[in-house]
Amino acid sequence: MRKLLTIAICAVALLVLCSFTAATAAQVTLRFSDWHLTEDVWNKSLNEAMAVFHKQHPNIKVVLEPVSYKEKETKYTVESEAGRAPDVFHVHAFSLPMFFGKGYAKDLTPFIKKEGPGFLDAWYPLPNKLMEYNGKMHAMPGDYMTMVLFYNTEMFKAAGLDPNKPPKTWKEFLSYAKKLTRDTDGDGKVDQWGFGTVGAKSPGFSMRFGPFLWSFGADYLTPDMKKSALDSRKAREAFTFFVELYTKYKVVPPGLTAMNPQEVRTQFAQKKVAMILGSGWTPPIVNKINPDLNAFEVLKCAPAPMKTKPATAIWLSSWVMSPNTKHPQEAWELMKFITSKDSELKWFVDNRVTSARKDVSGVAPEILNDKFASVMASQLPYGMVEPQIKQWPEIMDTFTTSVQEAIVGMKTPQKALAEADERINAILAR
Amino acid sequence: MWIKDRYMWIAFVLPGLLLLILVLGFPAITSILYSVKAEQAGTYTLAHYNYLLKDPFFMTTFWNTAIFVFASVATHMILGLAVAMVLNSAIPARPLFRLIALLPWVVPDVVAGIIWKWMFNPIYGAVNDVLLKVGLINTSVEWLSNPKLAMFSVILVNLWRGFPFVMLILLAGLQAIPPHLYEAASIDGASKPQMFFHITIPGLRKMIVVALALDTVWEVRRFGLIQAMTQGGPGILTEVLSTYTYKQYFQFFRFEYASSVAVVMTIVLLLVSLPYIWMISQEE
Repeated sequence: MRKLLTIAICAVALLVLCSFTAATAAQVTLRFSDWHLTEDVWNKSLNEAMAVFHKQHPNIKVVLEPVSYKEKETKYTVESEAGRAPDVFHVHAFSLPMFFGKGYAKDLTPFIKKEGPGFLDAWYPLPNKLMEYNGKMHAMPGDYMTMVLFYNTEMFKAAGLDPNKPPKTWKEFLSYAKKLTRDTDGDGKVDQWGFGTVGAKSPGFSMRFGPFLWSFGADYLTPDMKKSALDSRKAREAFTFFVELYTKYKVVPPGLTAMNPQEVRTQFAQKKVAMILGSGWTPPIVNKINPDLNAFEVLKCAPAPMKTKPATAIWLSSWVMSPNTKHPQEAWELMKFITSKDSELKWFVDNRVTSARKDVSGVAPEILNDKFASVMASQLPYGMVEPQIKQWPEIMDTFTTSVQEAIVGMKTPQKALAEADERINAILAR
Repeated sequence: MWIKDRYMWIAFVLPGLLLLILVLGFPAITSILYSVKAEQAGTYTLAHYNYLLKDPFFMTTFWNTAIFVFASVATHMILGLAVAMVLNSAIPARPLFRLIALLPWVVPDVVAGIIWKWMFNPIYGAVNDVLLKVGLINTSVEWLSNPKLAMFSVILVNLWRGFPFVMLILLAGLQAIPPHLYEAASIDGASKPQMFFHITIPGLRKMIVVALALDTVWEVRRFGLIQAMTQGGPGILTEVLSTYTYKQYFQFFRFEYASSVAVVMTIVLLLVSLPYIWMISQEE
């Protein structure tokens, strides 16, 4: 009897041990990295979402890895080269060609196939296309927004402008900007400017220059992306117009070439500039910089002004799975969760960013009834994307260098643009 | 004793040597290999070095670096020596002033860059505000956007940021000069400038060489400050080799070309360090 009891106890103990070991083995830890984790509102939102994900997938523990907006490419490059990138991470769409080319993104096709036909139909076709490498999905689309013109209605009224009639063309825009450039305290010096924009070498520059170039009917590269398309009358007009806002009309505050997006938003929040180009992130950030402005009430937005055709820049982010992940299936579950309809709607409600999902941005009443998001969503058909080629960051840096040289008067706009054209062709021919 | 005395030095040297190989040797060799790597796997080329010689941005960046380093090191030496001499004299609250003088050195590069960028801001910046109030300027100056001022502004901030390092070395050197030399010179009727040129400078010779060499190496590598203040702009007027390498590597993903720039930068640094190594060996 005692022998039997001993055997039974041993068997139970073994079973308990086995089940414990199995449970421990099933617990998977994923590393998730996103620059949004460094931003207060987004951080709260992502933490809430991760709690929901953990409830749905108790066997998956997600470790959040914040990274600054500026450092994300550096971090992911270094870690990918070392074979220890986060399992899932968030990057700009324009970084994708480099990441794809270097093999930093796992092919998601097998997972998508398993989800069944029509899985990708929930997303707009353009973002889906941009996630492809060699015809296969290597990332999932994230935030998808257009750049629009934000303006301060109180400053409009003070300058005698109707806040319900924002400028529709660049000609009107210039006339508005001139009226909004004023000496408000009567000391004889201009202390308020019509338009604030980015002039520093920052990814934010191309997002804000694109609406100028494209709406003038020009483009950076030829359709086959083999040559520069800047040697054209339309490109010269757009380039000169942009530069002269600063050099000739002086409707942009001083120090343009050192201004990055956050500094421009600060100028806007402090009522130093009356109009800026921005997107979904603009109202919450401006509100945070200066809560006294009452940004959600005072600000309005309108489609970016146009010259010959409506056109604006598109902001698109993407979610990437590292090829080094040891838990691809769990990483896919996480990617699916953060790009799900519910999550994408949460990102909008909490953070005001619209989604690359049609079934969110195209139909959600929260978006369609929002005074900012509705304008952004209306511009999606006119949205243009920067060329998705691996040379693009270098091309954009070269182009920004030329813009800066023209802005500070080192070269005429024509000469600076001609040099940019020549240098870009050299980069593409290399 | 299981290790014979004559081989004992190997046991002492080996851990350090292995660490050096791991921390310095491996990345250095990897960089050199990258710099000669061709697109086709397993093949090597000097094409990146050839391109480097033709790259107009690289040549401008090289000269910008030379100007930045020369101006920074020269001003660090002058201000560092001046402050070191003041802090070596019998002034009241000397420890407090020594601490204050060291503060800029404690601030991280990027933080210093961001702070000074705000201070130079033409609309909100404290620098313009002060200069306008005291009547030195009539309108706001675009410190970082004016092509004639951008490099000057960066060097000015780097002077503030980097002089404490030189000051610290020279202060240690000053304290090592025997006071009786000054007393004897004073009894002999030597003037202050005579004492400076005939006692202080010769007494500091070794420390000056150390400070020159180390500061030059530091300034060639200076990255965070410039990246935070100007990102190399306007145009490429403040682009230096460190920011250019970073850009090629992490923004353009041209690992091979970035490595060739880094290798050239290292060779230049080694050449700069040679006089220092030679002088130190002469001393010994």
